[in-house]
Amino acid sequence: MLALNNYLILSAILFSIGTIGVLVRRNAIVIFMCIELMLNAVNLTLISFSHYLGSIDGQVFVFFIMTVAAAEAAVGLALMIAFYKNRESIDVEDVNMLKL
Amino acid sequence: MISHHLLTLLVFLPSLGALLILAVRKSDALARLVALGFAVAELVLSGYFFTLDTVHTLYPAPAGFFQYENVHWIDFFGIRYTLGMDGISLLMVALTAFITVIGVGVSWQGIKERVPLHFALLLLMESGILGVFLALDLFLFYLFWEVMLIPMFFLIGIWGHGRRIYSAVKFFLYTFLGSLLMLVAIITIFLMHGAQSGTYSFALVDLIGTKVPYDVGLWLFAAFLLAFAIKFPLFPLHTWLPDAHTDAPTAGSVILASLLLKTGAYGLVRFGYPLFPDAARAFTPLIYAAAVFGISYGAWIAFAQKDMKRLVAYSSVSHMGFVALGIAAWSPIALSGAILQMVNHGVTTGALFALVGMLDERTHSREIDTYGGVWGKVPALSFFFLLFCMASAGLPGLNNFVGEFLVLIGTFKVAPLPAGFAFLGMVLTLVYTVRLVQEILFGKERKPLVMHDLSLREGGILAVLAVGAVYLGVSPSPLLELVKGPVALLVGVK
Amino acid sequence: METIAIPAINLAPIMPEIILSCIAMLLLLVNVFVPSESKGYLGVLSLVGLVATAASVVSGWGQPVAAFGGAVQLDNFAVFFKLIFICSAALAILISDKYVVREEINHGELYPLILFATVGMMLMACGMDLMVIFLGLEVLSISLYVLAGFNRGSLKSNEAGLKYFLLGAFSTGFLLYGMALTYGATGSTKIGNIAGFVATNPQVATNSLFVVGMLLIAVGFSFKTAAAPFHMWTPDVYEGAPTPITAFMSAGPKAAAFAAFIRVMIVAFPTLKHDWTDLLWILAVLTMTVGNIIALSQDNIKRMLAYSSIAHAGYALVGFTACNPEGVAGILFYMLSYTFMNIGAFAVIVLIGKKGEANGNVQDFAGLGQKRPLLAAILCVFLFSLAGIPPTAGFVGKFYLFSAAIKSGYIWLAIIGVLNSAASVYYYLRVMVYMYFKPSEEDFDWVGMTPAIAVCLLLCVATTLVLGVVPGTVLELAQKAVQF
Repeated sequence: MLALNNYLILSAILFSIGTIGVLVRRNAIVIFMCIELMLNAVNLTLISFSHYLGSIDGQVFVFFIMTVAAAEAAVGLALMIAFYKNRESIDVEDVNMLKL
Repeated sequence: MISHHLLTLLVFLPSLGALLILAVRKSDALARLVALGFAVAELVLSGYFFTLDTVHTLYPAPAGFFQYENVHWIDFFGIRYTLGMDGISLLMVALTAFITVIGVGVSWQGIKERVPLHFALLLLMESGILGVFLALDLFLFYLFWEVMLIPMFFLIGIWGHGRRIYSAVKFFLYTFLGSLLMLVAIITIFLMHGAQSGTYSFALVDLIGTKVPYDVGLWLFAAFLLAFAIKFPLFPLHTWLPDAHTDAPTAGSVILASLLLKTGAYGLVRFGYPLFPDAARAFTPLIYAAAVFGISYGAWIAFAQKDMKRLVAYSSVSHMGFVALGIAAWSPIALSGAILQMVNHGVTTGALFALVGMLDERTHSREIDTYGGVWGKVPALSFFFLLFCMASAGLPGLNNFVGEFLVLIGTFKVAPLPAGFAFLGMVLTLVYTVRLVQEILFGKERKPLVMHDLSLREGGILAVLAVGAVYLGVSPSPLLELVKGPVALLVGVK
Repeated sequence: METIAIPAINLAPIMPEIILSCIAMLLLLVNVFVPSESKGYLGVLSLVGLVATAASVVSGWGQPVAAFGGAVQLDNFAVFFKLIFICSAALAILISDKYVVREEINHGELYPLILFATVGMMLMACGMDLMVIFLGLEVLSISLYVLAGFNRGSLKSNEAGLKYFLLGAFSTGFLLYGMALTYGATGSTKIGNIAGFVATNPQVATNSLFVVGMLLIAVGFSFKTAAAPFHMWTPDVYEGAPTPITAFMSAGPKAAAFAAFIRVMIVAFPTLKHDWTDLLWILAVLTMTVGNIIALSQDNIKRMLAYSSIAHAGYALVGFTACNPEGVAGILFYMLSYTFMNIGAFAVIVLIGKKGEANGNVQDFAGLGQKRPLLAAILCVFLFSLAGIPPTAGFVGKFYLFSAAIKSGYIWLAIIGVLNSAASVYYYLRVMVYMYFKPSEEDFDWVGMTPAIAVCLLLCVATTLVLGVVPGTVLELAQKAVQF
């Protein structure tokens, strides 16, 4: 097994890629995929801690996160479809009717 | 039972009247009558207090207070519902009741729309102001202090003229900001007292003995002074006043000038000085400077005004400078003079605003240019106008003279230089007063004016005010006797 | 046959959540069979359900009960907050009836969603484990994403829902990562265990994993409470969402986020107070100031109230920074009074609004003082309370919070707080200026009062004024609630 640090660094990199993706990408579905990437990075962190600490809490937490992420995906995609029906676009540049 | 809660009745009777008016708001005439009824009843009630000669309280009262109520309210914070009346508050209460009747009378005809709301707001104002004069618990005082602003805001905004919305909002924001800093100071001294003595209380009598470190005390007093100085108004925090006074309806101006300004002075005397005697001493030169400058500055700017109301407004700044001077001197004579001057100014300036309002109702103009040679047209009105202008200028025999005289004597003993400058300010007062009288009453008429002389109602109001002015000018001793005790107690604190 | 030993699970602490979830699921079922004209009855049913839940919540006052190995704890703190959530849900349901009929939304699912959101909030308040708090937060958030975008015909609502979803999920990612790092640094997700670990190993404060974890948790919660600089989503989402949902969002979820924030920060990290109170100080000042300053220029009243809710979160953060029992009790009291005064104001906005969310600008209130004096007066009470002018609940709440700050020594914070209060008066007064001082030909004949909204307004006004004049009882309750 690799040392804990390697897992942590990997998940940190994944998390950062996800964050940058959310900030940079324009397609709402891709943004959501990046959010999923962030959540999975967290999952990786939790599992590696759980293994390192010998405590099962982390893995239980991962189950919860996966379930919630699935529910979130369903809801999020439904919202995107509703938006698409009205605006014919998923580009977040078009999400601009409400201004500061 | 009631006899032990007279103060509560005094404070809340006008609110009751206001609610009644709002409940029967279909009829304008009924609203007016109800308002007048409650205002007169309030006046009679406040007159009753003059006849009391023994201490009438269920609760052990602090020294000097002959009416006192003290009930648990929000024990969580140590806040108690405490009302107390001594000689000073009695004078203020009587002035409030009296001026409210005048205010109701003055707006009898002038207000044409949303009449019930107007009179209800006048009565609510009275409740708020009475609460300020009677509260002896800092939290309760602050509550009434803020509540006072609300009816005045609506009065100026709805029935005012000119830039009424701007003036109303400016008035509210300016005063609110000042009082918020006072709130921080109140909380601070409350916490300090609690930390020192173990019991948390907002009562004035408890907080007076708190040992406050000198520099902290300076800041706390400064916060209190800021709130009160805005209300006085002390130069340079007076800029809200001309707009608010000029753009308010007549009753609003009368109450604003006669009563609201006094709350600032009263607050300083009742709360500011007793709580922070050392800091107050340190600030005295500053207050002297502001007061003296205000006297001259107010008079100077008044002289240049084209709008009658604005002129009287600036004259208020000038006159309240005398009150500030007397308070800052903090000697028995000066303080008594300042308190007396508070009453005098209330009567005189109230009358002046009423007169200006009457002229405005006749010709719909407040510009001095419009007038001239009014004496020939409306001799009765002109007589009263001249009388009150002379009173405002400090003519001996009329009320302002006594107050100013006492203040000057009292101040001269402790601080001759400010007194000297203030005396010069009196000369300036004469200048603008004479100008006002000359341009409006005498001289040639500039525009053809058609005016009818005083109606019975107007005449009655002015006559009553005139009697007050003359009485206060000729025989002020009963009032001075009334405040002698409390003043001695207060000054002894220093 | 061997019987399987089922471990004894004490369901009592989460009985309110169970009751409410069952009722919400029942409503979903009933919704299928009920014709669309009678959907209003679902609202009544949901209110009944909320009352039942409240009864079960109140029974938990006095003695703390823990369950699920310490993951959930129903103590006074949780009871107080749960009651706030139930009130906000009930008030939101009361004002939603008129709105959905006007906007022609199929609202059968609205009520179950609000109830599910409430379940999530209640879990957040009683959760003593990071997992439970996360679960509650997600149940709440997902329900809110749908609720914000509920009006499918309206572009603004779509946009609000999508924006809220994307930004909300993004912030949840941060929160989760923070929780994961904290778990790694301290070895447990239970708040009690974390507190124990931190107490016995103070050097963990220098462990970079832990510090980063704490920071990320703070960031995640700051997003949820709409603290600056993570407040950007609030105005857009509040403006676009249907008005009753905005009312709900501004009260309940904000309180829930504070509840969880308090639990995590004060219970888990009490010994590290001096580290993060500085951070909170900056957060509080920024939040108050940004909220108030931007609100000054808003015309749309929902947007203005959105920024004002940011500012109010800032005042609550002042209590947080004080970090003494008075400060936390102040937050509790403030959240309670804020729920009533804010939803009350939104109730009036629902009444004044027209189809298609028209008539939502401050200018549209012109003349209300003359034509509908009672309604205008009620709105004035709420506006004065929001501004912090006595004798209202808003004033007592601010008084309590600022006292707590001064007691902790944060004089400048209190001064900044009162200066912000003064600034906020301007935009609240603006509405009153339009209502009373500006003339208008409008005669407001479309403003019809329904019994539901009347009840809501009555409750809100009564609470605002009563809490302003005799707040003693509730203040004591709040104080008892923070003795954990």
